[in-house]
Amino acid sequence: MKQHDSIREDSSKTLRQFLKKDFTPYMVFAIPLAFMAIFLIYPMITTILRAFMPAGNKLVLGQFSLEGFTKFFESSMYRKALLNSFVVSFAVTAFSLVIGVPMGYFVARVKLPAKNLMLSLGILPIIMPSFVGAFTWVILLGRNGVLRHFLNVMLGPLGIEVPTIYGMFGMILCMTLTYYPFVFQLSYGAFASANALLEEAGMLMGASKWRIFRTVTFPLILPSLGASALLVFVRAIGNFGIPAVIGGDKYVLPTLIYFRVNGFWDLNGAASIAIVNVLITAIVLWLQKYVISRREYETISATHSEIKLHEGKGIRIIAFVYCIIILVMSLLPQLTIIIMSFSTRWVGLFPEGFTLKNYLRIPSYSSKELFNTFYLSLLATFLAALLGSLIAYITERKKPKGAALLDMSVMAPFILPGTVVSVALLSAFSGNSIIKLTGTYAIIVISYMVRRTPYVYRSVAASLSQLNPSLEEASTIAGANWLYTFRRVSVPLILPSIISGSILTLTTLLQELSTTILLYSSKTRTVPIQIYGAVADGKLGEASALSVVLLLVVFGIIYILNKSQGKSISSSFKMG
Amino acid sequence: MSRNLTYLNVNKIFGEHGKNPVHALKDVSFTINPGELFCMLGPSGCGKTTLLRSTAGLETISSGQILYGDSDMTSIPPFRRNIGMVFQSFALYPHMNIFENVAYGLRVRKMPDAEVRKRVTEVMELVGLTEELKRNPSPTGLSGGQQQRVAIARALVYQPDLLLLDEPLANLDAKLRRYMRAEIRRIQKATNITTIFVTHDQEEAMAIGDRLAVLRKGVVEQIGSSNELYTGPDNAFVANFIGKMNFFNARLSGANQATVDTTNVAVEINPQKNRIPASAGLQAESKVLIGARPEQLEVSSHKQPDSLEGVVQIIQHLGQVVRYEVLLDDKVCDASIEVDMPTMLEDVREHDRIHVIFKKGLPFLFLPEVDN
Repeated sequence: MKQHDSIREDSSKTLRQFLKKDFTPYMVFAIPLAFMAIFLIYPMITTILRAFMPAGNKLVLGQFSLEGFTKFFESSMYRKALLNSFVVSFAVTAFSLVIGVPMGYFVARVKLPAKNLMLSLGILPIIMPSFVGAFTWVILLGRNGVLRHFLNVMLGPLGIEVPTIYGMFGMILCMTLTYYPFVFQLSYGAFASANALLEEAGMLMGASKWRIFRTVTFPLILPSLGASALLVFVRAIGNFGIPAVIGGDKYVLPTLIYFRVNGFWDLNGAASIAIVNVLITAIVLWLQKYVISRREYETISATHSEIKLHEGKGIRIIAFVYCIIILVMSLLPQLTIIIMSFSTRWVGLFPEGFTLKNYLRIPSYSSKELFNTFYLSLLATFLAALLGSLIAYITERKKPKGAALLDMSVMAPFILPGTVVSVALLSAFSGNSIIKLTGTYAIIVISYMVRRTPYVYRSVAASLSQLNPSLEEASTIAGANWLYTFRRVSVPLILPSIISGSILTLTTLLQELSTTILLYSSKTRTVPIQIYGAVADGKLGEASALSVVLLLVVFGIIYILNKSQGKSISSSFKMG
Repeated sequence: MSRNLTYLNVNKIFGEHGKNPVHALKDVSFTINPGELFCMLGPSGCGKTTLLRSTAGLETISSGQILYGDSDMTSIPPFRRNIGMVFQSFALYPHMNIFENVAYGLRVRKMPDAEVRKRVTEVMELVGLTEELKRNPSPTGLSGGQQQRVAIARALVYQPDLLLLDEPLANLDAKLRRYMRAEIRRIQKATNITTIFVTHDQEEAMAIGDRLAVLRKGVVEQIGSSNELYTGPDNAFVANFIGKMNFFNARLSGANQATVDTTNVAVEINPQKNRIPASAGLQAESKVLIGARPEQLEVSSHKQPDSLEGVVQIIQHLGQVVRYEVLLDDKVCDASIEVDMPTMLEDVREHDRIHVIFKKGLPFLFLPEVDN
């Protein structure tokens, strides 16, 4: 009897203790976890299941088939698409390194005028939607392209004919000029921040300049190069816009996915391609991680000395001319669309017929698309910021069991091509599935959130890891519960990183094409979709005017927010 | 009003169910008196910070109890414990001015504005920052010593039952550190709040604490006042951690006598200084350590009865004493020993042979350290 009482007392004591705990964090954390489970993990699982089912749209468990994969051996279209994807991605990565590393070195280590301007201009190609870049190259190097026409007149007598932009050459050129800024910016950062003392020490020990570069400087910047090469590769292999506009008859994996879904409504087939696409990225990511990251060095330094810049006249001229050529090449699209947007047609050397018609028609033709673009992007950015910050907070501060898994699942969409995310969401929420979301605003907002939450997450996680936990502990000790501490201490301190992650999210979402194109309906059409459609119809003036509007909005946002935070434009895009 | 703080068989195991559990606190039991300034001292990784954080509730202990008076604090979340804490990094909020930093705990307690103003002004007066409060800058604009004072004010303003200081002086320069430790003692005595001060610096602990606890590998080795620990260390670890102690490898050669290894120098030990517990069950010829502080030894240029021969490495004139660093036979002592003499020996130079003598009745006898 007595024993009984003491047991009851014990259990009621444990219950009391249990109830005294602070439960708010658990309840708040459940939301992001549920979101990730329903809208990322579940769709990815369905995608994997569908990849092993016979072609079609039906999700039928138990019907196992390798059809989707054997096509890579049987169909020459599949085979070529896979090969093209490989060739394009590796070529773009290689060329980006070849162009970007010297430029990073020149701007960091050679005495040049207007370095900040070069860095800011150098970021523009990433900010601009890549398919806009592609169609402006059509204006320049298309069949009747301005530049091509001009070059052919010049080179014709020599028997050289400039190829058109359509096909492999165009895709590689266009993507390289779009993505080399990642290499440029990251290698610039590495060259500029490398501790000069290490190089000076080498010099004092009698090493030649070339030897120092080879044995000291290069190994130190190698991790940055690896990271930038990976960024370029992941984007190149997932890029939909450029091959869609100028690929011509050359398919790559993302356009092949689009073709399967849009042409045949063959979700299961698209899932197989998506899996192959992701596998390639994952293997490259793994290689980068284990081959290059292992060689990452902590720079041990108490003092830092200024890096001496090259001042020789020869190298200064070479560096300046080099940078100008690359910048002009990569900024040609921007100039072109601005001119094009004011013209009725542009076939010969010069644009013809100055007009404002392209702009004047926007209110009547695009008001719904403009509304959709802003509505979807703003809503998704707000939700992604909320989600990303919370998940970053959980993984950094609470370090729950499986934090690594959570981190991995948040970061996974980072390497998932946009078309793959769409296929995953369609796999889970269309046809005969339980929840049907096809054609709704919701599915687009969800796809945006899934793809862009990593931006906020990374930004906030980095800033939290810099933040001493004792700042939060001090608040707890002072008597504040979790929510009070989160509101009054954590959030204000990480706010700058939430904002910069959100800017990046918003500006990329405003121009999102590759995910939206598989998910939109006539009700939810966005401006990028409209531009894409206009290009396909050959209405380049209309496409240009809309692109200019989009670009102005994006720049406006970045400019205003950076001005208020006192940062340079390029710093917003430093993160991968 | 103040009550005492009691630790009862406190254990903390990190990664308890993981692959590599770390036993950070082992059966810690002791009591801190009301109004006491208590120091927890030990090398890094000894568990002193873990014990402090467990007291605050920032770590949950694996077993045992922490009692405040009669009430069990063990399962009370940190924000309901009414504790003040000063962190090593100060943890001041860069997004608030110093007034709001100090007022934070009062705002949490939803105190009316007038009361907040009054309390903050009072506590800033106590820590000597009246002028700074008038300017009211962000804490990032203050010097290290001022930041420290703000951190102390912030911890004191809501009149906590307990004040915890986690290596609060580690981020200050040497001169300021000495000044601030006197200040902390003054403020603590003025408020009479029971205070725990964690440090790895024995000089700091001896200067500031009413009592000290020396921890090693999660075990409390000894508790006492600075004087008790210095003059009566319980074991070789405490002896060496509080002040300098020279150790000589020896064998037991009588109830209170030990013979230094490789010699026939037999040292008589005052029974009060014999630290070998009967429970150790040592026999004759068992390994032991003779311990002597630098001032409990003498050096001489001539051989004396029962002297140990060595070579002078370095002679340092420290003002009040002259310190001789002497290298003995490495079987006796593998590092050089320190001997403090009141005056300089005229006939001894560095690298000369020299003879070391134990002063009668002063040396300790310890069990040899198992590890280290």
